[in-house]
Amino acid sequence: MSSGFRSMHPSVAMVYYAGLLLFAALLFHPLFLATEIAGLTFLLVLQGQGRGLLRGLPFYLLMAVSVAVLNPLFSHRGAHILFYFMDQPITLEAVLYGLMMMLVLLTVFILFISYNYTVTTDKFMYLFAAAAPRTTLLTLMTMRFVPLFQRRLRQITLIQRIRGVDAGKGSLRSRMRDGMTLLKVLLTWSLEEALQTADSMKARGYGIRKRSVYGIYKLDLQDKAMLLLFTVSGWIPLFFWMKGYGVLDIYPRMKPMHLGWADAAMYASFCVFVLTPLALEGKEKWLWRSSRHSSYPSATLKKTGTRFMSSHLR
Amino acid sequence: MARFRFPLLIALGLFVAGLALTSALKDRHYMLLSLVLLAVTLLPLFLRLERRPLESRELVLLAVLSAVAAVSRIPFAALPSVKPVSAIVILSAYVFGAEAGFIIGAVAALVSNIYFGQGPWTPWQMFAWGMVGLTAGWLRNTWWMKKKGGMLAFGFVWGFLFGWIMNIWYLISLPDAFSWGLVATAYASSFYLDLAHALSNVFFLAVLAGGWTKVLKRFRKKYGLLQE
Repeated sequence: MSSGFRSMHPSVAMVYYAGLLLFAALLFHPLFLATEIAGLTFLLVLQGQGRGLLRGLPFYLLMAVSVAVLNPLFSHRGAHILFYFMDQPITLEAVLYGLMMMLVLLTVFILFISYNYTVTTDKFMYLFAAAAPRTTLLTLMTMRFVPLFQRRLRQITLIQRIRGVDAGKGSLRSRMRDGMTLLKVLLTWSLEEALQTADSMKARGYGIRKRSVYGIYKLDLQDKAMLLLFTVSGWIPLFFWMKGYGVLDIYPRMKPMHLGWADAAMYASFCVFVLTPLALEGKEKWLWRSSRHSSYPSATLKKTGTRFMSSHLR
Repeated sequence: MARFRFPLLIALGLFVAGLALTSALKDRHYMLLSLVLLAVTLLPLFLRLERRPLESRELVLLAVLSAVAAVSRIPFAALPSVKPVSAIVILSAYVFGAEAGFIIGAVAALVSNIYFGQGPWTPWQMFAWGMVGLTAGWLRNTWWMKKKGGMLAFGFVWGFLFGWIMNIWYLISLPDAFSWGLVATAYASSFYLDLAHALSNVFFLAVLAGGWTKVLKRFRKKYGLLQE
């Protein structure tokens, strides 16, 4: 079921994740990166995706920590030498830079976990259907074929086993040969049938004129408001970044962090951008809770204002 | 809105490219620039797919081959670098040419990552597998590619090249530590994974080569698909 931030128009979610990716790549500052990680983690937990995050974490941590370890070993810039490792100076600045890069990588990884949950591929395709119709159609057909082919392969395996063609039994050589037979059957069957599909597409007039686009999502008032909010609150940090704020200089020696009004304004606007989906999700949770606690005089449920995907299909 | 879509997309693209350049020059921070450059390399071939005259049969054929490549990755999910995708992309490109090979590789990477998880590596995999297809298509008329041994060697080399390309997105996050020592460390640590990929390529190509090229060539001839 999709509700809350997931039920927003795909363009809203896309703007949000594109903005976050941009910030993760541009704002090289521990405060901003930590805020982004915290915001995304909390959003995932609110959406009930904490388990998925935990499952991927060991791999992501391994990647990110290895960056943090490799940087001081190979980069010797910086003013403060901590100690010597195999005659190579290990500098404080290089260690800090490695840790910052670790934060950047973690931000990007968590961002994609959240993205995978919120912007499903059909939404992504919906956004690009008008700009690249053929690529979109190709990708969507491929996506649809994947589960179909898996099912087909199971059928083929069942039937061919009766004929004695079994990829699970026999010597390695015969198993290889049998496995190849199964795949070849899958290929020929799928190609034959797919070409029939293509002929029927052609018979119905595919490719005669420019493809029209059918959109199932509707941009409603709340979506527009969110787009406006994201645009405004996203521009402010970018504007300040171009003025040179929001980047921590580490080399040759780390500059002390100070918070002026410009940094504060930039950070506040950044927080609005990052935390708005959390507010949406939290509001949803709160409405759901409070609707359960009140008792209804009639059997008809009161309208709670919980948001669902707004589409023409309803 | 629809009328402004292309100017809007182009303006956005230029804006992000500008930001990426600024970030790379000012802060020596290359992550965004690498993504922009990847998008620029992927763009022309996808544009070509959009523009060229294409029968619906050919489009469906590309989808089937991409899907077969994507499906083939799933049973081997537990083994990190055994990816039959490369072998299937090479064979398809061998029969249907460079552009088809590129599209099949890129789309297979995109779609199989729906099951394996999209991440910052997705565009890199699209690029790497696209290049596998593109080069296989370019070299398909050379005398050594027509021999089985030549094709196996080609698969073996691409097993390593694929790993080396995938190491780049990891290396660019360490601009200050960049040195031949770091490159050597990264490439040495991925050596066994790359070797496994290369050997599995040789294995799958050896198993599939004869039968699959025959089937694909027959389809190509019977339906007149992607003749150049």
